[in-house]
Amino acid sequence: MNHNNRVACVMVGLPARGKTYIAQKVCRYLQWVGIQTKVFNVGNYRRQLTGAQTDHSFFDPHNEEASQLRLQCAIEALNDMLRWFKKDHGVVGIYDATNSTASRRRLLRERLEAADIQVMFIESVCDAEDIVLRNIMQVKLNSPDYADGVESETIVNDFRARIEHYEGVYEPVTEDESTFVKMVNVGSKVIINRICGYLQSRVVYYLMNLHIVPRAIFFSRHGESMYNVLGKLGGDSDLSPRGRKYSEALPGLISKHLDGQNLTVWTSTMRRTIQTGQHLPYPKLQWKALDELDAGVCDGLTYEDVEQQYPEDFALRDDDKFNYRYRGGESYRDVVLRLEPVIMELERQHNILIVGHQAILRCIYAYYLNYSHEELPYIKIPLHTVLKLTPRAYGCDVEQYKFDIEAVDTYRANPKRPSSLKRVGAHTPTTSADLRA
Amino acid sequence: MAAQLYKTESGRLFHAGAIAIITVGLPARGKTHISRALGRYLCWLGVPTQTFHVGQYRRKLVQKYSSHDFFDPANEMTTPQRQQAANEALDDMIAFLLGGGQVGIYDGSNATVEWRSHMLDRLQKNNIQTVFIESVCNDETIVDENIRNVKANSEDYRGWKLEDAIADFKERIKVTIPFYQTIEDESLSYIKLINVDQQIIVNNVQGFLPSRIVFYLMNLHTAPRAIYFARNGYSSGENSYKADSPLSEEGHRYAKNLKQVITKRLQEREAQGDSPNNQLKIWTSTRCYSYSTAEYFNDHPVRHRKSLAEINPGICDGLTNAEIQAKYPDEYEAHLRDNYRHRYPRGESYHDLAVRLESVILELEHEKQDVLIIAHESVLRCLYAYFRGIRPERAIPDIAMPRNVLLEIRPSAYGIREMKIGIPRE
Repeated sequence: MNHNNRVACVMVGLPARGKTYIAQKVCRYLQWVGIQTKVFNVGNYRRQLTGAQTDHSFFDPHNEEASQLRLQCAIEALNDMLRWFKKDHGVVGIYDATNSTASRRRLLRERLEAADIQVMFIESVCDAEDIVLRNIMQVKLNSPDYADGVESETIVNDFRARIEHYEGVYEPVTEDESTFVKMVNVGSKVIINRICGYLQSRVVYYLMNLHIVPRAIFFSRHGESMYNVLGKLGGDSDLSPRGRKYSEALPGLISKHLDGQNLTVWTSTMRRTIQTGQHLPYPKLQWKALDELDAGVCDGLTYEDVEQQYPEDFALRDDDKFNYRYRGGESYRDVVLRLEPVIMELERQHNILIVGHQAILRCIYAYYLNYSHEELPYIKIPLHTVLKLTPRAYGCDVEQYKFDIEAVDTYRANPKRPSSLKRVGAHTPTTSADLRA
Repeated sequence: MAAQLYKTESGRLFHAGAIAIITVGLPARGKTHISRALGRYLCWLGVPTQTFHVGQYRRKLVQKYSSHDFFDPANEMTTPQRQQAANEALDDMIAFLLGGGQVGIYDGSNATVEWRSHMLDRLQKNNIQTVFIESVCNDETIVDENIRNVKANSEDYRGWKLEDAIADFKERIKVTIPFYQTIEDESLSYIKLINVDQQIIVNNVQGFLPSRIVFYLMNLHTAPRAIYFARNGYSSGENSYKADSPLSEEGHRYAKNLKQVITKRLQEREAQGDSPNNQLKIWTSTRCYSYSTAEYFNDHPVRHRKSLAEINPGICDGLTNAEIQAKYPDEYEAHLRDNYRHRYPRGESYHDLAVRLESVILELEHEKQDVLIIAHESVLRCLYAYFRGIRPERAIPDIAMPRNVLLEIRPSAYGIREMKIGIPRE
């Protein structure tokens, strides 16, 4: 990534307008496609400085002492972001705060542009009372700002008072000379001003595809294939008898967890996923982009064959599995890039079942649960198991349903690395099943 | 039909019904440019699309253009003719959309609320989703440039003196202004473009295709630049995809000559004052013989992109045509029947390749600097077809992309200009 392409996304909006949600999602998406991204949440600085539980009077603009403290937090977060751009070669920094006045935004712009960083304001405007209330209920009730045991009505009232303090001084973004995107009522209207750079246009496109309608995404690998049984990589083989049994059992389980809602099934163009989906009574799409990682010259070999015939490659792959590209084939990094349109479409869609392949589902799973690129190629996605992902405001619930149909284990742990890898980003998913090794 | 994002059992694009896109704006606001570019892009996406230019209907009806008086909305003499042209175009578009078309682009000024609600009414009755694209331009220099470069050369002004044509066209705008009503109804689906790409307002626009259209419009620009296509150098060793062989000696010679030819061409353009501030960027694939061809461009930024790799031949890797025919006769037959869509087992079709190139195309549209793309002929064919608006079906696999030629493409409002420059073999 070129030095000139650094972007600071500065969030703007009243409290409870989904700023943090947007900031986290954009961060996760960009990290997943391999762009160095980080969120700087001013609220976290404030909580560190003053301790968590502060009531609304802290946010009163007439409270001078508190205003001073809030400014101090804003500057500290900004300094940290600038340092991160410089030292850690950050590409997209997301500055998450209300930034509700023109003067505050000017200050941020001056400092950032002086460091040769493009500024893009992302403003979330919401005058639909029901959306605001839903956001307060969903998110703020669990906020660290309120201790356990406080009545929800008290919280809602205090939070509304906090919003009112900001409303008094709030100035919407009208700075025509700057780059901004303004989203009104979750995308019912979007104003895009002076976008420069492909990266910025991609962020805007991503934002336009987000929705907040609840839905579920089901993942299933194809049933056990003949190549799985033989321990061979790749190929385009048919299902094994046990795999066929799985394909027959799949419709029952899916309908049980769907509660009569609509569903669309996505498969790859390979026989084993098409055969696995064949008994499902829903509309189906085949995506070439969902085809399994191409193992190039190693296609059709067993791991033992690879170790013998390409010992160097075998070792290189263990060193850096995410970036290792099979001779004449693909790397995980390549797969992530080709899956990007799939992710974009998944964000737009409602209930989807993906019948996929091990490497492909790892990549998509990593997007939803924020796994690092180092960790991604080792995510466990066992055969004959359905995963149900339910995206939430801050994270994603995962449920796992294992079928009682035997299958070979295709998981291969990294012999060189212990499995204690760190996860990127600030968000922690509320998973019910740990899929890591 | 070209690059649908996926394949459905019925073969139709899955999550979009029929959509009418209606341009709105005063004359010389780039409406035709936008219509054409969008039409080209949607065709590429594999969406059956047709553009209906009201101007063409009018020219059919009134063969000889006299002057701006014709366009004066207050001119009652010409009102029936203008209405007839507008209605005929609308009839044709509705017929197209009811007959299996997916997107109709209606290119006209559509300046009044009354006419727009009439159109909307007719379209809604036919279950057609409508999105307006209004182009607003308050920057006089953009308008002037558009009149001078585009309008004054239109068919209407054949045989006119340039200055007369410009003056007449300005009158044409002037008589329309009092009748022009910008879109204000927030219940409509509309996209407003202000000064081309300075500001875009997207109101109540939902759905797969409309959101892609917005993404595309965000990347569209009209700044002059050139795009260069050159093939990869010759590789050494076996004729195999999986082997990913390096350049041969001849390949290295080619790479050096390519560098010389393009350097000379850039100097030539600079001397002519042709986009002098442009800095050439180079994109190659991640294949060895592709990025090695850029090895000698050490003073230009070079990017290796996986999505620029050639068609994966699948099970036919390393085989000659005769060998494929002998070994897989059925597949060979199927390939001859449809060489655009047929995919050899484990490989890719041209269609698959086109889908994978979409991000390259958007980024290429966005790029304001000159770009040299060094890639395999299959990739260059697809990219070239996009810029030329070639309907893919059977044509793409047969486009000639000779090895020792540097192709220069200059996008402009009505199509592209191209130039071929030989690359010496020695």
